[in-house]
Amino acid sequence: MTPSGERTLPPALEAVVRAVVAATGLELRQRAEVEADLRAHFEDGLDAGVPEEELQRRFGDPAVAGRQIGEARRAGGAGRTSGLGGWGMGGMELMREIRHAARRLLRAPGFAAIVVLTLALGVGANAAIFTVLDAVLLEPLPYKDPQRLVRVYEAAPERRGDTNNLYMRAPTVAAYRSWDDVFQDFGALYTYREQGVDLTDGDRPQRRTVLPVTQGYFETLGVYPVLGRTFTEEETFSTGDAPGIRGVSSARVILSNQLWEEIFSADPQALGSTIHLNDVAYEVVGVMPPGYGDPFGPRADAWIPQSLASQMQNWGNYYLSGVARLPDGVTLEAAQARASARYEQLAGANPDAGEWGPWLVPLHADIVGPTRGIMLWILAGAAGLVLLTACLNVANLVLARGLGRDRDVALRSALGSGRGRIVANVLAESGILALLGGALGLLLGWGGVRGLLRLAPDAIPAGTAPELGASVFLFTLGVTVLALLAFGLAPALRMARTPPAEVLRSGDRSATGGRTARRVRDGLVVVQVAAALVLVTGASLLTRSFTALLDVPMTVDPEGVLSFEVNLPSARYPDGAARQAFHRRLETQVGDLPGVAAVGAVSWLPVSGRYHIWSAYWDAEDPGVTGANREAWHNTDTRVFAGDYFASVGLEILQGQAPAEVDLEGEPVVWVSRSFAEEVFGDRDPLAQRIGAGNEPRQVVGVVEDVPVDARGRVVPHVYLPHAQFNDDRNWTLVQTVKAQGELGALRTRIQSVIQDLDPALVMYRPRLLTEVVGSARAQDRFATVLMGAFALLALVLSLVGTYGVLAGSVAARRREIGIRMALGADGGRVRRAVMRYAALLTVPGILLGLMVSLAGSRLLDTLLFGAGRADPTPYALSVLVFLGVGAVAGWVPARRATRVDPSRTLAEE
Amino acid sequence: MTLEREWMRGAAPLAVLTLLERQEMYGYELVEALERSTGGILAMGQSTVYPLLYNLEGRGHVEPVQRTAPSGRRRKYYRITPAGLAWLGEQRVQWERLVVAMGRLGLGGQAAAP
Repeated sequence: MTPSGERTLPPALEAVVRAVVAATGLELRQRAEVEADLRAHFEDGLDAGVPEEELQRRFGDPAVAGRQIGEARRAGGAGRTSGLGGWGMGGMELMREIRHAARRLLRAPGFAAIVVLTLALGVGANAAIFTVLDAVLLEPLPYKDPQRLVRVYEAAPERRGDTNNLYMRAPTVAAYRSWDDVFQDFGALYTYREQGVDLTDGDRPQRRTVLPVTQGYFETLGVYPVLGRTFTEEETFSTGDAPGIRGVSSARVILSNQLWEEIFSADPQALGSTIHLNDVAYEVVGVMPPGYGDPFGPRADAWIPQSLASQMQNWGNYYLSGVARLPDGVTLEAAQARASARYEQLAGANPDAGEWGPWLVPLHADIVGPTRGIMLWILAGAAGLVLLTACLNVANLVLARGLGRDRDVALRSALGSGRGRIVANVLAESGILALLGGALGLLLGWGGVRGLLRLAPDAIPAGTAPELGASVFLFTLGVTVLALLAFGLAPALRMARTPPAEVLRSGDRSATGGRTARRVRDGLVVVQVAAALVLVTGASLLTRSFTALLDVPMTVDPEGVLSFEVNLPSARYPDGAARQAFHRRLETQVGDLPGVAAVGAVSWLPVSGRYHIWSAYWDAEDPGVTGANREAWHNTDTRVFAGDYFASVGLEILQGQAPAEVDLEGEPVVWVSRSFAEEVFGDRDPLAQRIGAGNEPRQVVGVVEDVPVDARGRVVPHVYLPHAQFNDDRNWTLVQTVKAQGELGALRTRIQSVIQDLDPALVMYRPRLLTEVVGSARAQDRFATVLMGAFALLALVLSLVGTYGVLAGSVAARRREIGIRMALGADGGRVRRAVMRYAALLTVPGILLGLMVSLAGSRLLDTLLFGAGRADPTPYALSVLVFLGVGAVAGWVPARRATRVDPSRTLAEE
Repeated sequence: MTLEREWMRGAAPLAVLTLLERQEMYGYELVEALERSTGGILAMGQSTVYPLLYNLEGRGHVEPVQRTAPSGRRRKYYRITPAGLAWLGEQRVQWERLVVAMGRLGLGGQAAAP
């Protein structure tokens, strides 16, 4: 039975019906209808006595008919609602357009894949950067009324804004707490970060981190324990050091939620129990809420009370970080003015207070840091440029494909398709591409964030947790829709406007050569080249800056140096002598291990920032080193070292003796750095000087080379105190430095067993290579450079593809013209030159535009650049060369292809 | 002799609707009528009529109705809709204007207006 249910057609007509139906490309239901109509047609013809050959002849080409019927049937149906001047369309029709668009894309998998991938790269880069940007800069800190929180520094008026401000002193903290009109709440913490302790409850001690804070710390942040209480006034401001951890007045502890779960399985009865930190029993008085991120100690496992009592008269010890909440309605400026005025009164009454008054910085800005915010914005801008080049590329591809389909669209238009449907038709395609690209981009972004965190965990500051959340989803959605509009709508509208007759009349070929269309494509490429050039210039500026950074003389030799910490619990190593004895034994035994060249230890590693910024006293007129001359106290970083520290890290001794040559049992001695000697002693012989450092007058016995405190090579004066003579001041947790040859992994295992033999209860904490320490100091710079480089590479490839695409398309479209020219005697060289001229026409304006934007925008990079900075002409010249190269490469292939056009064949094709 | 493609494209929908304005017709009938009534001038490939019909249907200018043809078979007849009539009316006015204008240029069979 045939679908018409009546009779079988002769085979020839049957074949026609099948050919037509097959060519429609319609779905089954519509096919059946068309088939029935055609059968009826031929039946009626046969009934009328027309011979089948005649019917077949009069019917025309089945393939053409099928295609037209398919188009008409697809376009048809929707028009029922077309009271809207050709723009109207129902939901069903929209679905149909989407289905058709999907099918069309499946027929052009290469095109679809390139577009989706291009978009995904652009969107992915943006999603990743935006996630980090959002977490670090846009999201407010997760504390109560975070805009009222400030970090309080003490700084000389001229040094405000310097990233290297001084910490606070105990007496000023005590004073500031009472200034109710300036600070609603005030808290302080010891130094500016968590410190290590040994949790000694289990079989083996575990290394944990605690943050010693004063009363008022949690109150200022507005975060309270879910269980128990915060620290009291008494616990932090009354006299008396509890044993175990220096400066801690009272053996109470507040646990992080995680530690509470770990030790007490989240039992509320834990309050009042004890845990042992460095072998001292601490009473649990509180448990913080789950997920609490401390702004200063994001990795803190517990908080203990920091006592200021013993330091209350010490105006010279800057060692505390202040954090405060401004009263409601008081601006930062007003608070700063009031605080400064208050400080003047305070200084007037206390001659020891000095001139360094309070300086307030919004807590968020302080945590983000001065350069990190700028870096993230620049990277976000760079990611935006990548997306721009991606969108331009996609627009170009879609436009080129659209041009190819002009005839198709014109036919539909002539057959009565509404403009709405034509736009919908093109938009449906773009929409599918944009959604796929967006989804894949989100996936890439998700992976990207993980990659970014691995690349530079330090780029993400405390208290913030980058996660692909709702805001990023919305952002990606927005970006994708924008991209859709940018690359979908314009070509769609253009197509809808194209007068069908013009396209149909002009035949297939010239469709791709419409002048307006070509100009649009040219313009897209010019902008693309410009955007890519900006990125490449930025990347090469950063790369040069980073190379300059790598060239910074480190003066230490980090190769082959293993570092680790060993904390000696005060309960079992109660005094300096015991700790010194342990260090001596450790040095000797590690020194005996095969391959070990030198063993030492230091209180703070080089290139790890400033630390222990204490004062050293020197006055030529005061040989007794009485400390009486207030002008003779010099700010300096103090390091306590043991063993052969200088040799172990390759720090050169410029003058005087090595530690091993000095009798450390004898008179108190000190080593100073080159810059200290130059700044403090001037022309005098350093080895003839005595300075006040480490609580007593000391003879200078050596001058060592300066060592930078950061990756940018910043040098500050240092004094080095031997641990043998300065070990009772506190329980120094020294970082051991072992210089060795051969495999450091094996060495690490051997050292571990040495420690086990000496004291089974000790832990080898944070074993790291010194190269890693130095490397991590460059992390932020490397982060910016690598990311910018990746973005630039992406943009470079995209713009190369874009330029090539336009040139190749143009040559393909003008094959006939080229063929005629060559038939008329134009030689290959001339044709090639014409194509190359076109290539130059596309790239040179792009280069100029990009160069202008780069020059204008480079000042944004200033804060990130090190060395020659943006004044360095090389990166700009390099970018220009690169893009001239892009133009040449993109032009060369099409140019060669053009000269291979065979005139006779091209003309014969017509 | 037949018309060039462009003319055909503009004229065909008009011709079909004009025929359907008089009476409902099924596919083959319409094809034959087009050829017969225009002296072959509008005889396109017969297949061309079907896309045209589907399109007019899509635009709501015609609608199909099932009826029994004189042959006794069930056929899909096409009927002009009110929207089709309105559109045809507009087109007719334009058509007449075109003929007059062309006539004035001396293109038509009639003499140009003085």
